[in-house]
Amino acid sequence: MSRNPEEPVYNRIEEARTALGLSRQDLADKAGVHYQTIGYLEREEYSPSLVLALRIAKSLNQEVSELFSLNPFKKGK
Amino acid sequence: MRKRNKFYWFEGVTEKGVKALLNDENSKYRWLRPQRNRRVLVILMGIGLVLTSMGSYWPTLKTNLNIDSGVGLIIYSVTAVFVILAILGGYSFLRIAVRSIADAPDELLDERQIAVRNTSFRYAYFILGYILMGLMVLILFGPELQMFQDEGNDGSFVVVATLFACASLPSMVMAWRERDI
Repeated sequence: MSRNPEEPVYNRIEEARTALGLSRQDLADKAGVHYQTIGYLEREEYSPSLVLALRIAKSLNQEVSELFSLNPFKKGK
Repeated sequence: MRKRNKFYWFEGVTEKGVKALLNDENSKYRWLRPQRNRRVLVILMGIGLVLTSMGSYWPTLKTNLNIDSGVGLIIYSVTAVFVILAILGGYSFLRIAVRSIADAPDELLDERQIAVRNTSFRYAYFILGYILMGLMVLILFGPELQMFQDEGNDGSFVVVATLFACASLPSMVMAWRERDI
C-alpha cells in the first residue's frame, strides 16, 4: 500500500537500522509506529508521510535526504 | 497507579484490547494471521451471512420441516440461535484476525494502519451498496417477508444478517486484501 504506486519512495532504512544494530521492533518503538509498518517501508511498499520520514530519520541519526529518495539508491553508497 | 482501560463506545473496542492485538501479546490467535487463513475465514463468514438470511425464507423453501408444529418450531429456533452464535463467533474471529484495526480509533493506530483501515472502509461501502441493491431486488421480487408476525417468512433473519454484514465488511475486506496484518 503506497501513497502513489506510480512514484515509489526509495529508502535506506534497513541499511541504516542494521548498521545501528536495531531490530524492526526497536525502530518501530522509537518512531512510534507498528513494527510491520517498518517492514512495509523497508520493502518500499509504503511511502511515509513527511512527519514519519522525519521521525525515522531522527531515530536513525540521519538526514531525511540521506534515507529517502525518489530515485533508487546505488548499491554500497 | 494503574492506568484505566479506555473504552471507545463509538468503535466498540478497548484501548488495552487493541494494543494487546497489535503487540502480538496473545499468541494463541497467531494462526489467524496468515492471509490464506484470513481468506478462509472471510469465505466462511460470507457463507454464514447468506445462510442466516436464508433463514427468513425457510418456510417457503422446499423443506420437509413444518414450523407450525411444536417440534419443527423448536428445531427452527434452535438452529437459528446456533447460526447467529456462529456468525457472532466468526465476527469476533475476524476482528482478532485483523487486530481490530478496522474498528480502532486513529489514536491507537499508526499512519499506515489508518490508511489501510480507511481503504477497507471505502471498499466495504461499495460492497455494501451492492448488497443493499441485491436485497432491494430480493424484497421486491422474492417471497414476501413479514416482521414480528406468527406466520409467513420471518424477515428478521435478513435484518440480522444485513446488520452483521455492515459491522463485519470492513474487517472482511481488510482480512482479504492485506498481505501482512
